[in-house]
Amino acid sequence: MSAEPIDVKQELDVRGAKCPIPIIKARQEINRLQVGEVLRVVATDPGSVNDFKGWAQTAKNIELVRQEETTDSSGQRLFIHYLRRLA
Amino acid sequence: MSAIGALEKTQLTAAQLKELLDRGEKIVLLDVRNEEEYRRWPIESRHPVRMLNIPYYQFVETPDSAVAQVPRDAPVVAVCAKGGSSAWVVEEILLPRGYRAANLEGGMQAWGRFYQPRLVPEAEPVFRIWQLERPARGCLHYLVAYGPQHREAIVIDPPRHLEAILQLVDAHQLKITHILDTHAHADHISGGVALAQKTGAPYYLHPYDGIHPIDVLPATIPYEMTKDGQTFILGQARLQVLHIPGHTLGNTALYLEGNGKRFLFSGDSIFIYSIARPDLGGRGEAWSPLHYRSLFERLLRLPDDTIVLPGHFSQPGEARSDGLFAATLAELKQRNPDLQPRSQSEFVQYMLSSLPEFPKQYIEIKRVNIGLLQPSEDYADELEFGKNVCALADAYRA
Repeated sequence: MSAEPIDVKQELDVRGAKCPIPIIKARQEINRLQVGEVLRVVATDPGSVNDFKGWAQTAKNIELVRQEETTDSSGQRLFIHYLRRLA
Repeated sequence: MSAIGALEKTQLTAAQLKELLDRGEKIVLLDVRNEEEYRRWPIESRHPVRMLNIPYYQFVETPDSAVAQVPRDAPVVAVCAKGGSSAWVVEEILLPRGYRAANLEGGMQAWGRFYQPRLVPEAEPVFRIWQLERPARGCLHYLVAYGPQHREAIVIDPPRHLEAILQLVDAHQLKITHILDTHAHADHISGGVALAQKTGAPYYLHPYDGIHPIDVLPATIPYEMTKDGQTFILGQARLQVLHIPGHTLGNTALYLEGNGKRFLFSGDSIFIYSIARPDLGGRGEAWSPLHYRSLFERLLRLPDDTIVLPGHFSQPGEARSDGLFAATLAELKQRNPDLQPRSQSEFVQYMLSSLPEFPKQYIEIKRVNIGLLQPSEDYADELEFGKNVCALADAYRA
């Protein structure tokens, strides 16, 4: 299944990090983006899927554009979150 | 350190939290996971406890309005999935604002791996029976020591985390002689095969549960087959296998009898306030009549003074005041709503209209338990997320 490509402005690698680190760092990165730009977050914590969903609903200026699950070459599961700054 | 003393610290172990909950201490449980995870798996207590769910990302986004919701009149215990976010909320948000607050070390992962052993006083001095409560999941596991000095032991429904059993084995210098699963579990991962490899004791399962009911594939694990009426001689006592199909096709209960003492390890058949559901093998309609006959024509005909030690509880309030989940058959005939007299057809209809949700991971857990799948530790935790739903639906209503 192919998804629409997303124009990503900034990457954030939080592989191996446990919560709350991914969201705290993602918040810092979002604050550095211009309105409309997208941050791509690569995480290994399965809990990040629901946390990013909940966070995007709570936060006033974030849109969760998409979430993907994949595996890297070593078989590690990766959870990828695309977040757009709205305001 | 006592649990009360522990509240003066900023880290609390799962054992210390359990002690606080069991004593009914006035605390506020602040769960900072997302709403979905909190809804699916909250910490429970047999005493009323104040629970609050404020996801940690609300403390990230709007700390002042989030913290305004947290009461100040009692110590706060913060909880999250693995202990990281709750530690951050305690240290960065609550303590600087003057709260008395502690973090549950290791979060729900540690809570899910915590087991509390309790001796069954009625068993003494003929046997020593430990009931191991896994409070997070509502699972009950058993270690039964027997023989002259109670040095030999059997394990019934061994848990995934073997340390819980091995600590008791070491502390009491026990030798494990038999390991039995009452059935192939769907809600939790059995430690049976791993414990057999570690101790050399044989692992037993009924062969009908050696076939995955949905996949229709045979077990790849090594096991000895139990059969109806089979009797294990345990010193002065006898342990008899009762084949009671219904919850699964190979479901069994284990009846222990010695020196006038009688115990029924009922596994997933009779619980304290409910009974096991008939549909987890995907054949609820076909298996319900079997379940009826196993319960009413078999188990309920055992002597009334038999003490039932079940494989699960649905609510912590089912415990006696000493914390044990146990009752005589006579008591259960009185107060267990699912054991009230019904005709077979009434019973079947009643059961099929009382089924809780069917967690899809239960199919996968059965694969793990008969060797069709070897999960990573993380995936095993994911499969064991949440409280068991092995009973009928009413058991889970507050």
